[in-house]
Amino acid sequence: MEKHIVNYWILLPILLSGMTGIGLLLSSLRGHIRNKEENVAEKSMADKSLFRLHLLVGIVLVISVVLALLAAWSGERSLTLFYLMDEIPVYFHVDAVGRLFLTITSIVWVTVAFYAFVYMKHEGDEKRFFGFFLLLYSVLVSLDFAGNLITFYFFYELMTLTSMPLVLHSGTKEAIMAALKYLFYSMLGAYCALFGIYFLYQNCDSLTFTAGGTLNAGLTASNSGILLLAVFVMLIGFGAKAGMFPLHAWLSTAHPVAPAPASAALSSIIVKSGVLALIRSVFYIVGPEFIRGTWVQNVWIFLALLTVFMGSMLAYREKVFKKRLAYSTVSQVSYILFGLSLLEPTAMAGSLLHVVFHALIKCSLFMTAGIFIFRTGKTRVDAYDGIGRQMPVTLWCYTFASLALIGIPPTSGFVSKWYLAQGALQSDTGVFRILGPVVLLVSALLTAGYLLPITIKGFLPGKECRVETQKETMDKMVISLLVLAVLAVLLGVLPNPLIQYVGEIAESVM
Amino acid sequence: MNAYFMVIAVLLPMLGGVLIPLLPFRKRNTMLVYIEFLVLVTSLLVFGLILNRPEEAFVLFRFTGQLSISFKLDSVGSVFATIVAFLWPFATLYSFEYMKHEGHEKTFFMFYILTYGVTLGIAMAEDLVTLYFFYEMLTMVTLPLILHTLTREAVLASRTYMYYSLGGAAFAFIGLIFILTYGTTPDFTPGGVIDMAKLGGRMNLLLCIYVLCFCGFSVKAAMCPFSAWLPKAGVAPTPVTALLHAVAVVKAGAFATLRVTYFSFGTELLRGTWAQHLLMILIIFTIVFGCSRALKETHLKRRLAWSTVSNLSYILFGVILMTPLGLYGALSHMVCHALMKICSFFCAGAIIYKSGRTYIHQLNGFGRKMPKVCSIFAISGMALMGVPGLCGFVSKWNLAKGAVESGNPLAYAGLAAILISALLTAIYMMSIVVRAFFPGKDFDYSTIGDVEDPNWMMLLPLTVFVILMFAIGLHPQFLTDALTNVVAAVF
Repeated sequence: MEKHIVNYWILLPILLSGMTGIGLLLSSLRGHIRNKEENVAEKSMADKSLFRLHLLVGIVLVISVVLALLAAWSGERSLTLFYLMDEIPVYFHVDAVGRLFLTITSIVWVTVAFYAFVYMKHEGDEKRFFGFFLLLYSVLVSLDFAGNLITFYFFYELMTLTSMPLVLHSGTKEAIMAALKYLFYSMLGAYCALFGIYFLYQNCDSLTFTAGGTLNAGLTASNSGILLLAVFVMLIGFGAKAGMFPLHAWLSTAHPVAPAPASAALSSIIVKSGVLALIRSVFYIVGPEFIRGTWVQNVWIFLALLTVFMGSMLAYREKVFKKRLAYSTVSQVSYILFGLSLLEPTAMAGSLLHVVFHALIKCSLFMTAGIFIFRTGKTRVDAYDGIGRQMPVTLWCYTFASLALIGIPPTSGFVSKWYLAQGALQSDTGVFRILGPVVLLVSALLTAGYLLPITIKGFLPGKECRVETQKETMDKMVISLLVLAVLAVLLGVLPNPLIQYVGEIAESVM
Repeated sequence: MNAYFMVIAVLLPMLGGVLIPLLPFRKRNTMLVYIEFLVLVTSLLVFGLILNRPEEAFVLFRFTGQLSISFKLDSVGSVFATIVAFLWPFATLYSFEYMKHEGHEKTFFMFYILTYGVTLGIAMAEDLVTLYFFYEMLTMVTLPLILHTLTREAVLASRTYMYYSLGGAAFAFIGLIFILTYGTTPDFTPGGVIDMAKLGGRMNLLLCIYVLCFCGFSVKAAMCPFSAWLPKAGVAPTPVTALLHAVAVVKAGAFATLRVTYFSFGTELLRGTWAQHLLMILIIFTIVFGCSRALKETHLKRRLAWSTVSNLSYILFGVILMTPLGLYGALSHMVCHALMKICSFFCAGAIIYKSGRTYIHQLNGFGRKMPKVCSIFAISGMALMGVPGLCGFVSKWNLAKGAVESGNPLAYAGLAAILISALLTAIYMMSIVVRAFFPGKDFDYSTIGDVEDPNWMMLLPLTVFVILMFAIGLHPQFLTDALTNVVAAVF
């Protein structure tokens, strides 16, 4: 009985942040209705009430994060809430993968919130932003803890719906169109995935996540053709969230128009839930055995590599800073997908490492972009010449994060890419064994090509450029950035516990 | 309960409806109380009948030999009757408020209540003759409702409606004659009534007639290419479009196709034939076509009407699968779609009633002026999209289960069509929602200054529907258990 009650702890962080989020949203809507005369959304609140809002959001978020981490790291837990479909309950289960994703989500969420306290002053309508921000955290916790495919899908859709308002926050025509594009691509992806889920439901023993898959061999023998197709459609569908070709186009539109904290959260965490979806469906439902060596695997590897290369190329050519970073996300997340698609333990360990590292790195990069925009109002990379003299700390953080993303030892990106390349070489995938590492290398070069010029121009703008040397303000934004950048580098120096942790996950599912 | 009560349930609203223009009501309110009372009593009667169903049939009168008007409430009929009996009182309440601005209330309510009786007649029909009789009658009593505003557009729409419906009924009539000739009895019997000895080897004749008959009945269910009347009929007052053109009339069409497929011709004979495949192709096409037209449409009610076209074909898709799970999916979508669509239509009606705006591009910023209605509209839109946790997901799931289980490659294509249509639904519903809640930075709210949420008569039905959508979506047991029993009784 006692154990039973303890399991309900899982719900506490979900309910706490979710309810507070909804409360903030309702209060925001009521505020808007009250101000009938005032047509334009109130730009900024009074300082006092703003402080109270920040205090509330901060406290609620920290408590939820602590509760969620406690629930995650205090052993295996599971909780059956109620039956959604016949024989399929809303079921939460804490396992190694969920724990990993939850921890990285929590770290990013707290730092981003801290960052947003300052940044959102210039975007306005903070109640709505933080309302959706908290609500999204509760959805993400549920997503990471989801114990079967239906529960997962349930929160996956909710995540799309609650993250969309973050994209359109600024309310410009461009932002609204981008949000709709995001919504429709996500929905398309979700429905493709649903197509696969329908078939899996018929052919699996259960939809509960089980390491190694639950496919019923007896049933699949007769109709493996259609089932492979269904799995493929599902891969494409879940791949949409992770920005995999062919459903990648939303990412470079939606991430840049969102306010910087939102883009940081979207690019580091929300795209990872696409990755989580693929891990869950491929390794915990379908089982790697079923697709190993089939056309599905080959096409998947090909699409992942294509996206890696294409994303880097597009980022290289892009001049708007945040858009460049968004394309970089397209490319980098497909590193992860490439690692997964090899269906090989080492590569999968590399993928999981890259999930963590990329989340930290991309979050720092977007935070840098946000700070630049916040302080200078300029969005294009060629406007940042000499910026290192004004904001040296920010630019140093950016530089280290960039080095990590490129994969220069001893930063974190090197570790994950090492495992990815090694996994590819060990795998039994024909031409992709060699092609994979080659594409990764080329893309790393391109990554250096699109990230480092900002550092170089920022610190060494040339003689003609006259930039006043100023003292940099060390506010909450820079501190959050600093924390993440240091983490991104440190994890590369001391990666062993993490490597061991993800190695065990990878071994368990193969 | 005694079988007499079935006749009472059908005749009470019909007689009571005819009396409305004759009774000398002093005040409007007296009339409204009378009407609501009439509807509520009928609904309670129907629920009583459903809860303890009379075993025997009741023959109202006999033309000659086999031909008779007779009632019997079986499990499938109960599902339809439940939907109708549940929604009618709420819709009536809603129309009390809405019809204030349309005028000619006495005539309107007369036909509105008449339709209730006729629809119940369809639900409780014991045999194909009775079904056909009430089906024709349904066309007649709903025609004046479309004609209500008497504008040129309304006249044209009602004419279209009449041609389509009567034409459809003519084809259905062929089926009726065929069943009378080659069937053992016109009564609905699970598994069909075709007498193989009489039929001899003329299988193709049977299939031809089946296709004609199915198409005939599916005119009311707006299957392509017979769907053009439904969006045009959107000129009718919103209570009519909401209740009749999203629930009662169109589902009567779907219900009739279900009857002839499972209870007259029999699925054993039809499964796997070209007739099934041909109809399935038509239905799959309609699913995608309806949604595409909805996407293109800029008029709010017409967009919802096209969405109905597509969603009705979900039901027909379940019917045409001809498996227990297919029937199960069809019935669950019948229930869920009724809730979702009446809800979104009522929201549209509230918007039209309060602001007079009918086009989607005029709805910018309504989310702040009518927060309750717009939120409910958003929820019903999400339900239509099939967001889990709302009823649309449950019914899609059930349909998909049927489609995958049937093992028919065409059914897989149908499943894909349903998901494509779900995506299109997301596009055409969410673009309205986003427009209403996020009109853009520089939107001037003074242009819609006087718009506000409607009163309780409109909000109460909406609230009830939303609660039910969540209830079915989060805890579908009570629905699925009931439907499992229904399906078990058929197979």
